[in-house]
Amino acid sequence: MKKTFYLLIAIAVAVMVFGASVAVLAASSLVVAQDVAPRMMNPHGDDSDAGLQYMANFFDGLLQRKGPDGTLMPALAERWERLDQLTWKFYLRKGVKFHNGNPFTAADVKFSFERLNNPDVSEFINTGKSIAGVEALDDFTVVIKTKEPIPWFANNMHQVFIMDKESTESRDPGDVMVKPIGTGAYKLVEWVKGSYVRMEANADYWEGAPPLQTVEIRPVTESSTRFAALASGQVDIVTGVPVELYDKIVTNPKLDVVSRPARRSIFLALNNKPGSPTADMRVRKAMYMAINEDEIIEKVMRGHAAPAAQIPDPPTIGYNGNIQRLKYDPAEAKKLLKDAGYEKGFEITLSGPNDRYVQDAKIAEAVAKYLAKVGIKTKLDVKPKSIFFPEVTEGKLDFYLIGWFDGTFDMGRTYFKLAHTRDKESGHGVFNGAAFSDPDIDKLLQSTADIVNPQERGKVLQQLNKMAMVDKIAWIPLHYQEDLYAIQKGKGINFKPRPDRWMVYKEISK
Amino acid sequence: MKSGLENSGPGQTFLTAMATYIARRLIQGIVVLLVASLLCFIVFRFMGDPVVTLAGRYATFDQIEEVRRSLGLDKPMYVQYFRFLGNVAQGNFGISYVTRVPALGLILERFPATFELASTAVILSFVFGVALGVLVALKPYSPRNRLIMAGSLGGISIPTFLMGILLIMVFAVYLGILPPFGRGETTQVGFWRTGFLNINGISHLILPAMTLAMYQLAVLLRLTRAGMREVLTEEYIKTAWSKGLPPRKVIFKHALRNALIPVITITGLQFGELIAFSIITETIFQWPGMGNLLLTSIRENDQPVIVTYIMLAAVVIITMNIIVDILYAVINPKIRYE
Repeated sequence: MKKTFYLLIAIAVAVMVFGASVAVLAASSLVVAQDVAPRMMNPHGDDSDAGLQYMANFFDGLLQRKGPDGTLMPALAERWERLDQLTWKFYLRKGVKFHNGNPFTAADVKFSFERLNNPDVSEFINTGKSIAGVEALDDFTVVIKTKEPIPWFANNMHQVFIMDKESTESRDPGDVMVKPIGTGAYKLVEWVKGSYVRMEANADYWEGAPPLQTVEIRPVTESSTRFAALASGQVDIVTGVPVELYDKIVTNPKLDVVSRPARRSIFLALNNKPGSPTADMRVRKAMYMAINEDEIIEKVMRGHAAPAAQIPDPPTIGYNGNIQRLKYDPAEAKKLLKDAGYEKGFEITLSGPNDRYVQDAKIAEAVAKYLAKVGIKTKLDVKPKSIFFPEVTEGKLDFYLIGWFDGTFDMGRTYFKLAHTRDKESGHGVFNGAAFSDPDIDKLLQSTADIVNPQERGKVLQQLNKMAMVDKIAWIPLHYQEDLYAIQKGKGINFKPRPDRWMVYKEISK
Repeated sequence: MKSGLENSGPGQTFLTAMATYIARRLIQGIVVLLVASLLCFIVFRFMGDPVVTLAGRYATFDQIEEVRRSLGLDKPMYVQYFRFLGNVAQGNFGISYVTRVPALGLILERFPATFELASTAVILSFVFGVALGVLVALKPYSPRNRLIMAGSLGGISIPTFLMGILLIMVFAVYLGILPPFGRGETTQVGFWRTGFLNINGISHLILPAMTLAMYQLAVLLRLTRAGMREVLTEEYIKTAWSKGLPPRKVIFKHALRNALIPVITITGLQFGELIAFSIITETIFQWPGMGNLLLTSIRENDQPVIVTYIMLAAVVIITMNIIVDILYAVINPKIRYE
């Protein structure tokens, strides 16, 4: 009896020692607390940057964007060329192997692009449907034909990841959703949902083995808990630092804040339905001038934002440095309203999400207060993003807050989505939630569809941008967000954030 | 369903009465499940359209509609509901929109984490609640015991959220002795992933279990105290004392046993609720349990997971109720079911 008792104790001790040794091993790796959890390990099933950033470690696209600038570089394709308006040719890298040892060939590329069409496994339906056909000329040359000219087609090739045809077809679909087999710099070790994603370096990676041997990502969605995880030394890097916690981290001698201007701009969309007050340019201008953006940045964003005069950010094709913000001038705004016949103001509802952007609901509150000061009674209607975004696609809103940035670094795709008149047939204007419509903008936008040369595109898109922001006030721009990260000081962590917020671990060293 | 206390002795009628009682409870349970699932479907109408996210950011109107058709969400609500019921009858709860794997598996995968957290919390609250309750009942007016009672008021009234954050700040950030989040190292034993088998896993369990236990501990403490104070004034306790029995025997064998019945009932009922609704604690501590999954699913509007979760939660609570009712009859043979 006593013997068995001692035996049990011995087993328990052995198990604990083993557990502790696992913990010691983990200490030599990078541990990151992420603000979002991965939804799945299927690289086509989640087109949000939050999901793609996980996939970028296990998979490669034909092209890639290198941090910290986001320059478009070769990846699984060594080079590419555009044969005509519709045809793109990719020369594939030789000697690349998937994590399971299968060689990477043109058949995998064809398979991956065709998979985009299947709504059961893909959120890249739009990319999939825009392709007329994928042809493998030989094992290492692929020609992709699009149905219509897509000037930004190559710009998006860092988001479409290539899967292993053989193992994806032979495995159970459920297994494909949880076990990534790619060519990426890291192999998945274990994914325990809600707990962690562990990955180890792919020693045979075609760019050479990445500097970090193992990486553990712990999704911690609650921001105060994320802060506690960092402050207690449990993790090396946290993403998504809330602006309220910025001062606490800066004053902590053990921690450092890493920030960079975000690509995402926050802006207000307005309807221009004939007969509504906001159809009048003077009213649009008045609303713009009534909002004290500097104060929003100082008080609501606590200094962590930069004023915006347009939707795209500087590296985007179409960004126009000559566009200036209208100055804050409530007196002028009142005068404009009076001229437009709204001396007594009018009522409008401002919609927006309350769980999507930095301080989103508070920005909306501030805007409502500024507008009230010039006599526009603004009713607030903020709600969770899962309810708000479907309303945007319905196009029945009058006035709403939203944010945007385009992974292609080309304003064209965004404008077709946000600014073009809602049109079921062509599919344009899906996120034009206030049903803004302007024939001049539509015409100029359509004329850009077959311009591919970046210089030429830039010229026309800049002109379009100026038309939308200055002549038509399609939107009231507010600010560019700032991405905030925090890291442990003195651990030698070399981390430079990327413009798309992706955490790509081959670019981090320790 | 307790029909009250009757005086007839135990026997065969007891077992048959029990069986009919359980059968009736099961039928009631199914009705509850039907109503719960119907309510879910009605609420979903107001939760926003999941298709917009699923079609991808750059989908056109047609592509959005195509995804809607492929998920069967273009059908009227009642068709969707009956199809859901038909599938559930065959054990198929549908595929999660967000992760594209079966919803039931997704939830069951998280069950061990929640179960271990909830059972630790229940054991903590039962042991400390009853012990302190007895202590306080014996000398209700001593300053120390008044302090305990005041503390129990705190346990009842401090919201879980605040309690969790306070514990994290004190034990993880300032003292640095316990980890602030997650489950730590876990071991896979068959289908069950347990954190009980190593120190790291247990250290991760302490703070969330304390947070979750706090409210219940306070309730059980007050319940034990009230029961004990009442029982201690009974004639038979006075007799026991005057017989010269040792205090240990009087307090634990004679008094506590009788004071414990309502305490056990509440413990059992709350256990079911802790399993089903430890959402806040799980969220603060990033505990990878079912509550955490439910919150994520609500944020992402993953309707198949939400409805499956709610039905499972209903099953757990109904089962716990039935078990408590049966235990009741076992502990106190005077209680009968009709």
